[in-house]
Amino acid sequence: MTRRPGKAISIRGIAMTYASASGSAVEALAPIDLEIGAGEFLVVVGPSGCGKSTLANILAGFGKPTAGVALIEGTPITGPAIDRGMVFQSYALFPWLSVTGNVEFGLERKGLSKSARREVALGYLQSVGLADFADRQVDELSGGMKQRVAIARAFAPEPSVIFMDEPFGALDALTRRALQKQLLQIWEEHRKTVLFITHSVPEAIFLADRIIVMTARPGSIKTEIRVALSHPRDTTSAAFRDYERSIYAQLDEELVKSFAVEAADLRQGAAAD
Amino acid sequence: MLWRAAPLVVAFAVIVAVWQTVIWVFAPHVSLLPPPLLPAQEFWKLLASGELFVHTGMSLMRVVSAWLLAGCVAIPLGLAMGWSTRFERIADPFVELFRPISPLAWIPLAILWFGINEAGKIFVVFIATFFPTLISTVAGVKRIDPVLVHAGQVLGCIDQQSLFRKVILPAALPSIIVGLRISFGTGWAAIIAAELVAARSGLGYLIANGMEVLRADKVLVGMVMIGLLGVAFDALFRQLSRRYSWGRT
Repeated sequence: MTRRPGKAISIRGIAMTYASASGSAVEALAPIDLEIGAGEFLVVVGPSGCGKSTLANILAGFGKPTAGVALIEGTPITGPAIDRGMVFQSYALFPWLSVTGNVEFGLERKGLSKSARREVALGYLQSVGLADFADRQVDELSGGMKQRVAIARAFAPEPSVIFMDEPFGALDALTRRALQKQLLQIWEEHRKTVLFITHSVPEAIFLADRIIVMTARPGSIKTEIRVALSHPRDTTSAAFRDYERSIYAQLDEELVKSFAVEAADLRQGAAAD
Repeated sequence: MLWRAAPLVVAFAVIVAVWQTVIWVFAPHVSLLPPPLLPAQEFWKLLASGELFVHTGMSLMRVVSAWLLAGCVAIPLGLAMGWSTRFERIADPFVELFRPISPLAWIPLAILWFGINEAGKIFVVFIATFFPTLISTVAGVKRIDPVLVHAGQVLGCIDQQSLFRKVILPAALPSIIVGLRISFGTGWAAIIAAELVAARSGLGYLIANGMEVLRADKVLVGMVMIGLLGVAFDALFRQLSRRYSWGRT
C-alpha cells in the first residue's frame, strides 16, 4: 500500500444539535472543520459527552449532521459504506460466525470467492496473531482476542478509512498495551487512514500522528498536537511525559466545564419533571 | 444425556408408588382409579395392536402441520414487526386483542366453521402456536444490539435486504427457535383439548372415549403418552436451541 496523496477526510462545518428528552435543543457538536490526510493516524481525545462518538458516527454514515458536510476522498457521505470501516468498543462480532467467518464477512460482500476470502482473512488473522484460532467460535475468545478479530475484520476489506470508537476502552491495561502495539503494526503494514477516539491520553500519544483535543459540550476542536516522536514510542521518556503534561493541562480546563454542563443538565431535567 | 433423564425416572417411580399407596389405603372403584398395573397392561395392549401408534400419529400430524403453518406466517410477520416500528404500530393492536383469547376458546367456533374434520383441529392448533412464535420473533429482532447492525453496514450490507439476510435473521434465530419450542408445547396442549371435544382419532379422543366407556385405565394410557411425548419433544428442542444459542447462554 502506498500512501495516497491529499486528504482522505474533509470535515466542513459539521455540527449536530438534537432534542433532549425534555424537548430542549442540545448542541452536541459545534461547527467543526478538520482535514485528515490519507494514511494519517488521527486521535481524538476529549471529556465524555463532548461529541467524539457523534463525530465518528456521522463520518461512518450512521447519522446525519444538522449542518455542514463531510467528504471522503472528495465525495460527500450519504450513508455507511464498506469503504469506511469501524471498530466498536463492544467488539460487535457476529456470534453466529466463526473467527474467520467474521473476518470474511466484508470480503464476501465485496464478492471475493470462497477460497480467496479465506486466504485473505487468514493473512489478517496472522497479523493480529490469531491465525491458529481461525475456526473457533467467537464466544470462546477473551475480550482482547475479540477486539483483535474485530481489527482484522475492519482492515480485511481494505477500506480507505477506519474509525475506532474507544476500541480498547473495555480492556485491562496490559491487554490494552499489547493491542496498541498490534494496531500500530497492522496500520504501518497497510497504511489506512485511522480516526481513533479515546479517553486515554497516553494511548493517544502512543498511537497518534496528530491529536485533536476536544472541548466540553458543545464539542469543538480546542487544540491539535502533532506528535513528533518516532515509533515505537517509549511511554516513560521525558518527551512522552511532556506531551502528556500539556494535553492533561488542556483537558483539565475542559473537564471543569464538562462537569458544569453535566450539573446544569441534571438541574434542568429535574425542573422539567 | 442419560443421566439427565434420571430425575424424571425417579419422579415417575414416586408417582407410581404414591398411586399404589392410594389404591391400598382408599380402595377406589377400578373405573375411577385402577391400580398402576392395569393401565400398564392396557398400554402394552394398545401398543401391540398398533392403536396407540395411530392415535399418537394423528395427534402429532395435526400439531406438526398446524405448527409449521403458523411458523410460516408468524416468523415473517414477526420479523417485519420487529424491524419496522411503523408496521409494528399498525399490527400490534390486532395481536394484543387476539392474544388474550385462549386457543381453547376457539374450539366451539372451529367446530361450527369446520365441523369435526381435520381443518378445525388444525385451526385451533394454528391459533395456539401462532402467538408464541410471533412474540418471540418480534422480541428477537428488537433485542438485536444496534451495534451489530452498524457492523453489518460498514462491512458492506448497505441495502436493507442484505442487512436483513446477513445480520438480522441470524441474530434473531435463537429467539425464533425458543418461540418454536414454546409454541410446540402450547400446540400439543391445544390438540388434546380439541380432540377431547371433536375427533374420532388422536390421543385426546382416546382419553375422551376411555371416559365414555368408564375405562380409567385407557384414559391414563392417553395421559401418560401425552406426558412422555411432551418431555421428549422438549428435550429435542432444547438440544436444537443449544446449537443455536449465540448471544444468550
